[in-house]
Amino acid sequence: MSEGFSRRSFLKLAATAGAAAAVPGCQPAARKLIPYVVPDENVIPGVPQFYATTCTECGAGCGVVARIREGRVIKLEGNPADPIGKGTICARGHAALQGVYNPDRLRNPMRRQGSSLKTVSWDEAEKLLNDALKAAAAKGKNRIAYLGPAHQGPTLRAITEAWLAAYQSYRGIFYEAISETPARDAAEMCFGQRDLPVYHLNKAEVLISFGADFNETWRSPVELGRQFAEFRAPQARRGKLAIGYAYYVSPRMNITAGRCDEWIAAPAGAEAAIALSVLNVILSQGWVSPNAQIDVAGLKSFVASYDPATVSQQTGVPAKTIEAMGERFGKADGAVALAGGDDPATHAAAYVLNVVTGNLGRTMEFLEGMPPEPETRTNDVVAALDSMRNGEVDVLFINETNPVFSMPPAWRAAEAIQKVPLVVWAGGVPGETAEYAHLLLPLHHPLEDWRDTFPRAGVHGLGQPVMQPVFWSKPLGDLLIASARESGVKNAAPWENSQDALRTGWMKLNPKAAAADAEGFWIQSLREGGYVEPTQQAQVKLNVAALKTSPASRELPKLVLAAYPHPFLYDGRGADKPWLQEIPEPVTQIVWDSWAEIHPETAKQYGISKDEVVEIRSSEGVIKTAAHISERVCKGVVSVPIGQGHTSLGRYAKGVGANPFVLLKPGQFSAAVTISPTHTTHELATALFKEHELGRSIVEAQTITELANGVKPKEWQTDEVPKPYEMYPTWQYPVHQWGMTIDANACTGCSACVAACYAENNVPFVGRENVINGRIMSWIRLERYYPEQKYEHQPLLFLAPMLCQQCHHAPCEPVCPVFAAYHTQEGLNGQVYNRCVGTRYCENNCPYKVRRFNWWKPEWPEPLNYQLNPDVTVRGAGVMEKCTFCVQRIRHAEINAMIEKRPVRDGEIVPACVQTCPTHALSFGDMNDKNSEMMKRRVATNNDKRTYRSLNELNTQPAITYLRELYNEREKA
Amino acid sequence: MNRTILPLAAVLVVAGLLTFGLSQRPWAPRADVPQPIPFSHRIHAGINKIPCQYCHEYARRSQTSGVPPVARCVGCHGAALVGGLQPVTRPWMDHTQPPFEIRWNRVYTLPDFVRFTHRPHIAAGVACQTCHGPVQTMDRIEPVHEINMGFCLTCHTQRKVSTDCDTCHF
Repeated sequence: MSEGFSRRSFLKLAATAGAAAAVPGCQPAARKLIPYVVPDENVIPGVPQFYATTCTECGAGCGVVARIREGRVIKLEGNPADPIGKGTICARGHAALQGVYNPDRLRNPMRRQGSSLKTVSWDEAEKLLNDALKAAAAKGKNRIAYLGPAHQGPTLRAITEAWLAAYQSYRGIFYEAISETPARDAAEMCFGQRDLPVYHLNKAEVLISFGADFNETWRSPVELGRQFAEFRAPQARRGKLAIGYAYYVSPRMNITAGRCDEWIAAPAGAEAAIALSVLNVILSQGWVSPNAQIDVAGLKSFVASYDPATVSQQTGVPAKTIEAMGERFGKADGAVALAGGDDPATHAAAYVLNVVTGNLGRTMEFLEGMPPEPETRTNDVVAALDSMRNGEVDVLFINETNPVFSMPPAWRAAEAIQKVPLVVWAGGVPGETAEYAHLLLPLHHPLEDWRDTFPRAGVHGLGQPVMQPVFWSKPLGDLLIASARESGVKNAAPWENSQDALRTGWMKLNPKAAAADAEGFWIQSLREGGYVEPTQQAQVKLNVAALKTSPASRELPKLVLAAYPHPFLYDGRGADKPWLQEIPEPVTQIVWDSWAEIHPETAKQYGISKDEVVEIRSSEGVIKTAAHISERVCKGVVSVPIGQGHTSLGRYAKGVGANPFVLLKPGQFSAAVTISPTHTTHELATALFKEHELGRSIVEAQTITELANGVKPKEWQTDEVPKPYEMYPTWQYPVHQWGMTIDANACTGCSACVAACYAENNVPFVGRENVINGRIMSWIRLERYYPEQKYEHQPLLFLAPMLCQQCHHAPCEPVCPVFAAYHTQEGLNGQVYNRCVGTRYCENNCPYKVRRFNWWKPEWPEPLNYQLNPDVTVRGAGVMEKCTFCVQRIRHAEINAMIEKRPVRDGEIVPACVQTCPTHALSFGDMNDKNSEMMKRRVATNNDKRTYRSLNELNTQPAITYLRELYNEREKA
Repeated sequence: MNRTILPLAAVLVVAGLLTFGLSQRPWAPRADVPQPIPFSHRIHAGINKIPCQYCHEYARRSQTSGVPPVARCVGCHGAALVGGLQPVTRPWMDHTQPPFEIRWNRVYTLPDFVRFTHRPHIAAGVACQTCHGPVQTMDRIEPVHEINMGFCLTCHTQRKVSTDCDTCHF
């Protein structure tokens, strides 16, 4: 190289010169202040507004309160007035926000021309639709079909049906991939009626779930989770301190099973046999309640072929276990059996179990005035698809639902849809089905629209729009009403618009109040988010005559696929929401992927190694996904979560994982499969460090007997600091010291707290690659550990939320060279983002691993950034961030108290995670105030003997006190 | 020779530029901000003694004090926006195009990592002038104090209120 300037020096100089040139640019250009021309008198900039509305992410119909800042919804929280959620919602409910602001939402009406999509105006789109509808109706009856989700609410259902009728069609198909039809079929068989019962798990002392994941997706997870926590809380039962005893029968140990005492590993399809066998034990042992007034002899023939010995041979579940289940269930003072899955026989067996043990009307009850069955019967769905295939349908209108993704391949939904001359798809993010549509219409998100819900008797949810639409969309109701009017049929849709339809229907709920003061009733319902009326138990009797013959047992193939709904993605509808992709599945802790869970022995048998991509083939189709080898799945089972494997549905869903729907036969979630290794690997992304606690006291558990006797469990006897020492002068907290009490026993692993934290604190999502690199950003996580063999008794899982412990002796603080990590006067481990220079010493020194580093500038593609909380700084690249117990909420309450010249009240400050916990496992308060709810919880009877602090032996003196998980000792097998 | 001196000189120049650039205090309030209309605080707050919060009405209720909506101007200046204004303001109001927005230029700016809120300051009886200077004497708003952390902390220390970092930084 010649003398003088080398390329390297030049580049160096150019870079620094560039930086220098940029320095004067730091002076921000004068920013604008643009006031309203005419202000809205109800809006104060900087002060949030709250609207009660309803959640429509699943059929449970929880009430929510939306927090609005400057016209944008930024957070959803449960509505305390709602009897289902009681002020809490789940992770999927929180993620509804990412549905509203999804960057891949359809922005304007589009029309397919050749292979490309062209933007059209709404007028043009509606004219195209209405002209086609008129032409179809002129040709004859039933030339138009509608395909939508089942849980749409009564008003939208009425509008849809009126619209169809206006065009002389009755082909309304309301389809759910994960169907409740088996449960209704069983109810019809057992009780001669198709309503579903409601459950009260808290009134039971023994629970058996035959594949009903009631803490995840089954029915109403928030409500049932709350009941389950109550069921598991220690209380005196028959003079003894006890917790409810729970069994879970399923091919895979999901998080619901993990919170039970025993997980009975049964091959997929064997749940019914085991349920019937338990019933057999109860009937033959005579543990039948005299109150049940059952013809026991008549019922015996129903379970005749299901004696424990035979079933044990078929399923591999020891006869002793089945007998023990029967004994516990039959002798219990209050028991409940739940059933999930596709087999009506399982549901029937569970119903009968509840009835014969006298629990009908106690832990399981039928109510008068339940909503009508929302789903279209399978035969009608198939018939509609057939008529499409035969060219008998001219216009198909698809709302949201994704049949191409979720219908069984045997139905050939894509082929049927392609035969329809005009396919109109309307919804949010276009999925696989939208690829076949000729006309795509953007619909208002439920949070932008009027709607109602009717989840069960006595509960009516009223949903109002909480913000102006983000895109150029329309409400489905308005669209259909306008279209029905175009039909020329007189009074086809007797409403002005969907709001009018909703209000008209609403007034019929309480005619008396409506007649007295219609406006008042309406406003009150809007304010409260709905209308609740008392319910009456329905008189339902078991029809023993219909249960004469034993149901045939299913054949159990050598290798069987068990497909189950992913707890967050459900049937695939959640896959477009990055929060739901990034929150780890609680048991496997896997994110952004799908996986095939295989028992080590089965894996060995087929020569499959960890993370190896396997090919799973059934009679219906084939998928490829990585293997996750785990002992928490039954031998001879391949377990794959439903929800991934999208080839469309926006950037977050497309190309992630595999879709097990393609392997399934209609109406079944299990299938005989073959599996072969492909000798390629695909790393499954997980944020987990270790599978086991390795003797550390991160999450602790004890048996109920130990609690009753006041004995500290052996495993955790060494975790005390011999003599707490102080290296520096100790901190004083003159006013407050914020702390938390977390009842690990109440935690169901639902991960609502994680989602709430993402929403409240502007926590970025990072994607699969970065999770593998250990760069997940969540401030709170579900710490899950498997038990180790060396101890005598162990729970199925160790599980507790892990967030910053706000240590009194915080290891992070003294290592910060710039005092960015510092101790606040209220006992928090503060983090001053603008002072942080990113050395990451604090992260390295944190034993709880709850500090997160921004490796790059976080990104929220527009309009996802609209969701960001303006009260929390968006952290930039190179900055460490962490949980501060939602310090913005603490400040807010403190300012309120200061202005009102009073101390902060207990319960006034509620961090986002505490607010949303369905089981109230978390509570927050002032450790200086011994009368705070949080402190009282630490010393309450039965709680005082199970308090522990995570990693106490490190002398970090956390502000979070946990209460140990409780479990029942199992009989040794 | 060149290989050592040139980069060294460059580094010196850069260091100088950086020192100069940062000494400009990027977040300092700007003294030279022109406004779209020659609104005078002296006439409104000084001569006519209109209380600050008559126009900046959110100060006691919110983080932001609020810039008065055009409707508030019209409340005094005339019943209808067009034609109703006093002759003295019309020449400037005419410049505002429908929907009659006035695009003020911001004088005081705080960086995103400072969570300042007006509400508790008003409640504690801090006069607006404490931070904003004698606004009632100014025709065009010019900053009197540089609103930086030192300025905040001086007052917080004197008044014996929280000087914890996470009072403002979170």
